[in-house]
Amino acid sequence: MFFHMVLERNMQLHPRYFGPHLHEKLTTKLVKDVEGTCSGKHGFVVAVTKVESIGKGLIREGTGFVTFPVKYQCVVFRPFRGEILEAVVTLVNKMGFFAEAGPVNIFVSNHLIPDDMEFQSGDIPNYTTSDGSVKIQKDSEVRLKIIGVRVDAAEIFCIGTIKDDFLGVINDPDATA
Amino acid sequence: MSAEEEENAAELKIGEEFLKAKCLMNCEVSLILDKKYEQLQNMSDDPLSQTSQVFEKSLQYVKRFSRYKNSETVKQVREVLSRNRLAEFELCVLGNLCPETVEEAIAMVPTIKSKGRFQDDDAIDKMLRDLSLIKNLNRYSCWVHPTFLWSLLIQ
Repeated sequence: MFFHMVLERNMQLHPRYFGPHLHEKLTTKLVKDVEGTCSGKHGFVVAVTKVESIGKGLIREGTGFVTFPVKYQCVVFRPFRGEILEAVVTLVNKMGFFAEAGPVNIFVSNHLIPDDMEFQSGDIPNYTTSDGSVKIQKDSEVRLKIIGVRVDAAEIFCIGTIKDDFLGVINDPDATA
Repeated sequence: MSAEEEENAAELKIGEEFLKAKCLMNCEVSLILDKKYEQLQNMSDDPLSQTSQVFEKSLQYVKRFSRYKNSETVKQVREVLSRNRLAEFELCVLGNLCPETVEEAIAMVPTIKSKGRFQDDDAIDKMLRDLSLIKNLNRYSCWVHPTFLWSLLIQ
């Protein structure tokens, strides 16, 4: 789920930038440092929308660098266990399939795919029902439920299921409205 | 960490910070990221080199899974959903998934039943029908005078 939050960060700046464009330099550095990163607590920082405030700088003893506490508004993406969301299938194999929801990768094991869907190998590996009416293959859109979230260094990885009610391939004819 | 073991969006256990934060539907994120991309385009010739992979993937995702395309419609959707006593997270899941029946809505957001957000199932049904009306008007791209739309929705 996407959230709009206010986060804080201590930014260090080299004295060469102490001039009329100090705040601009801090903003650019903040955006470069923070956008695209991921933390276990807040998830992925997708975009910084506004720098709310830049506090008074504190000179660090010994190095001359100055630390500024910066408060900024940003859009983050944080998946939660128990959350239901839509994703795009990226890879299908006999163990299950991988799907992507924004920056996050989700794996759905074949144990958590309905029993009436069988894996079909071939040029385009897929999971299909016995009557062929429902098919999951690369680029299919699926609705899944996250049942586990793991944070790994700078990435979040999820495990999902499509075995519950109202989950599975999205067959919405007016989804492209 | 025990806090992570207890985390469960189906019971709205997502942590104090996220419960209080502003939640965004995919269509709203789409508008924000579009604006940001435009700003980058104005500033440099190659905006893609300025954006992270996370930004690009998120932009593609929200564009693909936005049910509502223009900003007026997005505002109307949030307005309709906000009329009920829902938590931000519940509101956004409903706005993103657009359940068609009361049963589906309860399956997507169990807390609307377990936390008694609505008086009865009819109230849930009314909200879903209002959402469906907005989606259909959006799909046929017909411009509806705001007061006319309002009179349809307050019935």
